[in-house]
Amino acid sequence: MKSVVQLKDEVVAPADGYRDATVDSGARRVITVAVAGNPNAGKSTLINAIAGSRLHVGNWPGVTVEKKEASFEHQGTRIRLVDLPGTYSLSPYTQEEIIARDYLVQERPDLILNVVDSTNLERNLYLTVQILELGIPVVMALNMSDEAQEKGYRLDVKGIEEMLGVVAVPTAATRKSGLDQLLEAVVATAAAPKLRRPKKLNYGYDIETAAELLARELALESAPLLERFPERWLVLKIMERDEHVLRQVNFGDEALLERALHHLRSEHGDDVESLMAEARYGLASGLTREVLRKPELKKTELTEKIDRVVLNRFLGIPIFLGAMWLMFKLTFDLSKPFGDWINDMTGGPFKHWASILLGAIGAPDWTVSLATEGVISGVGFVLVFVPVIFLMMFFITFLEGSGYMARAAFVMDRAMHAIGLHGKSFIPMLLGFGCNVPGIYATRTLENPRDKALTALLIPLMSCGARLPVYVVFTGAFFPRSSGTVIWSLYVMGIALAIVMGLIFKKTLFRGEAPMFIMELPPYRMPSLHSLCVHTWEKGKHFLIKAGTYIFAVSVLVWFLLNLPWGVENRKDSYLGQAGQVMAPALAPLGFGTWQAASSLITGVIAKEIVVGTMGEIYAPKKEEAKQEFKPFGEEVKEVAVSFGKACRESVSNVVSTFGITSLDTQEKEERSALKGMVLKTFTPLTAYAFMAFVLLYMPCMVVAFAMRQEFNGWKWFGVAFAYQTVLAWGMACLIYQGGTLLGLGG
Amino acid sequence: MMPLGLLGVGEHGEIAEIRVAPTLCSSGCGNERGKCDCRVEDLGIRVGKMVEMLRNAGGPILLKVDESRLALDRALAMKIMIKEVAK
Repeated sequence: MKSVVQLKDEVVAPADGYRDATVDSGARRVITVAVAGNPNAGKSTLINAIAGSRLHVGNWPGVTVEKKEASFEHQGTRIRLVDLPGTYSLSPYTQEEIIARDYLVQERPDLILNVVDSTNLERNLYLTVQILELGIPVVMALNMSDEAQEKGYRLDVKGIEEMLGVVAVPTAATRKSGLDQLLEAVVATAAAPKLRRPKKLNYGYDIETAAELLARELALESAPLLERFPERWLVLKIMERDEHVLRQVNFGDEALLERALHHLRSEHGDDVESLMAEARYGLASGLTREVLRKPELKKTELTEKIDRVVLNRFLGIPIFLGAMWLMFKLTFDLSKPFGDWINDMTGGPFKHWASILLGAIGAPDWTVSLATEGVISGVGFVLVFVPVIFLMMFFITFLEGSGYMARAAFVMDRAMHAIGLHGKSFIPMLLGFGCNVPGIYATRTLENPRDKALTALLIPLMSCGARLPVYVVFTGAFFPRSSGTVIWSLYVMGIALAIVMGLIFKKTLFRGEAPMFIMELPPYRMPSLHSLCVHTWEKGKHFLIKAGTYIFAVSVLVWFLLNLPWGVENRKDSYLGQAGQVMAPALAPLGFGTWQAASSLITGVIAKEIVVGTMGEIYAPKKEEAKQEFKPFGEEVKEVAVSFGKACRESVSNVVSTFGITSLDTQEKEERSALKGMVLKTFTPLTAYAFMAFVLLYMPCMVVAFAMRQEFNGWKWFGVAFAYQTVLAWGMACLIYQGGTLLGLGG
Repeated sequence: MMPLGLLGVGEHGEIAEIRVAPTLCSSGCGNERGKCDCRVEDLGIRVGKMVEMLRNAGGPILLKVDESRLALDRALAMKIMIKEVAK
């Protein structure tokens, strides 16, 4: 390693054939390092361990595949890490592969950091062999070297370096070992790229002869091509008839290709692509035999032992359901007190402080109302979701990182086939019962766009927690004795309609074969707390930032709609009330064609629990303001802290006494009982049920809308969801009301 | 020769033929057409390779190839032919 480090001081000359190295404003060199490797090779753990908080997450242009970048100094050299999607190969068959190789070929990083799983060398080297074709210097991280050691594997690192012409460094990203040596190797290799050219591997006499022939012909007839692309890679890809490349380079000279491939074809048949794949795999497997010594005796691994139970034909599904139940339970029990705390704080002290502050600077009354009723309430609605979402994301990250998520998909696969989906889709749908938003975000684990879109379309039919308050108010008023059964029937209705819609979509929008799946089940691992936190934050912060800003805007808008035109006395005459009056006739066939119901449904679009709140405001007799008595400032601050402490205690005790969700109807009793009285006057049991069905089914809330837009880079799928849900909600409510009336249940 | 999907749990086999078009399987990745995807070969399922059946109880199968555990659709497993090897 010493000798490598010394190379660093040599003169930095731009390597021939490469674009000049990026130079920052201080004329200091920036090394661009592309990180490539198999999925499950520990690539993201390694990058997190190296870059930590300097990691920047974005998307690759035009696709929803995540792009992670980090820029930092190491021993006076600026390093820019670009994480490529995990791939098994550089063929053109998947979005990930195309992104990875387009980047490597077009951006020409100074260096490729190839992360290799030392416990699974052969398959990982198959990708390495393809990376070497690019002629870009390669530093190899022999990751998970700790696990390889535990298994008794002996790796000949020097041998790998010599045979491939790369610098190889054993690393264990989870323990942060080997990272310094790795960065040193990166800096040293980038400083002397000429000395560190990867070896040109021999693909066998026939392939090499044809490749030489083609290279010579290309040099004569289309020399500019060879300047734009790495020569060996281009030649091999043209030989393989890689359509993606042929299109890119605009290569149409069939005669030339025919001449070059003539001998190869006559000897080995027409499938040159398979022949090359064989040659590459042969190299990977030969190399593995050379450098890897495995112990003779093999003990049953822990992963195999766990799998025997977890994937058991009879135990598999109960274990999965148990794990999910536990996750739900923990998420909601732990987060609820914090959500309530945020709700109380934004509703009480914060509003109070804001009004005092605005009063002190002499702001007009309407701004006080805007700040408290509009902004603080609106943003509060988002903040209330934060504990739930982050906790749920934390547990999901844990399940993913430990390796269980892939097993859950395996176990549920059969059941999900019925609606044209794979097992993996089950998890986001299940999460949807808690809150649709994390469910939508969780579709990120489904890499196949068809599955992802279909799953996201069905998630809003899972009755989320926000719809529960509406059910509680209505069943409390109309079905006091059987409210549990009625609420249960709504959940079942959602599931049943999801199955029906799944079948319909399968036959219409998502016609054609469901792709057959092949999926790796990684070994079980204990994820480190650090990487859990990093990934939880990555998943959750999108929600926090984007949804937060949109919600802010929308809640201001709604405030104006409720309070304009200026000086409006009656809610009925506000813009929202007027909109409600316009909408009401459309709801008449459903049995609740009043402007009040319509207005509350309109605001429910922001978040469905607002439906209850709006009804409260609309139905309530004119508000008597300023009746609340506020405590002195100091006491209120104390209260904020004390109630936070109480929330923490409650959160813990909730988990200890793991049974029974903190019941909803014990809270806010007085406020709601007044509303129940009003509701009893304007609804009948039948219209109440139709109304609840409508709330269950109509357009998901704004946060879901923005989550969908974010996940799918556009409004298309949300548009589909909006359209079918509106039709479904109207249709079902109409069916319930009209059908019920016909059956004489209308009274 | 027999389809991989018929191999019993704990039995070993040697892959003899792969009758899957490269565009038919999904490794959990995808393109806009929703079909696509990579070749089973890229995950190490290759002619001549020894594999071991870990789970085969209806639904997808679980296969051990080298050091990886791979879950395959049954439909996919029926299109991969193996030679059974006594072990």
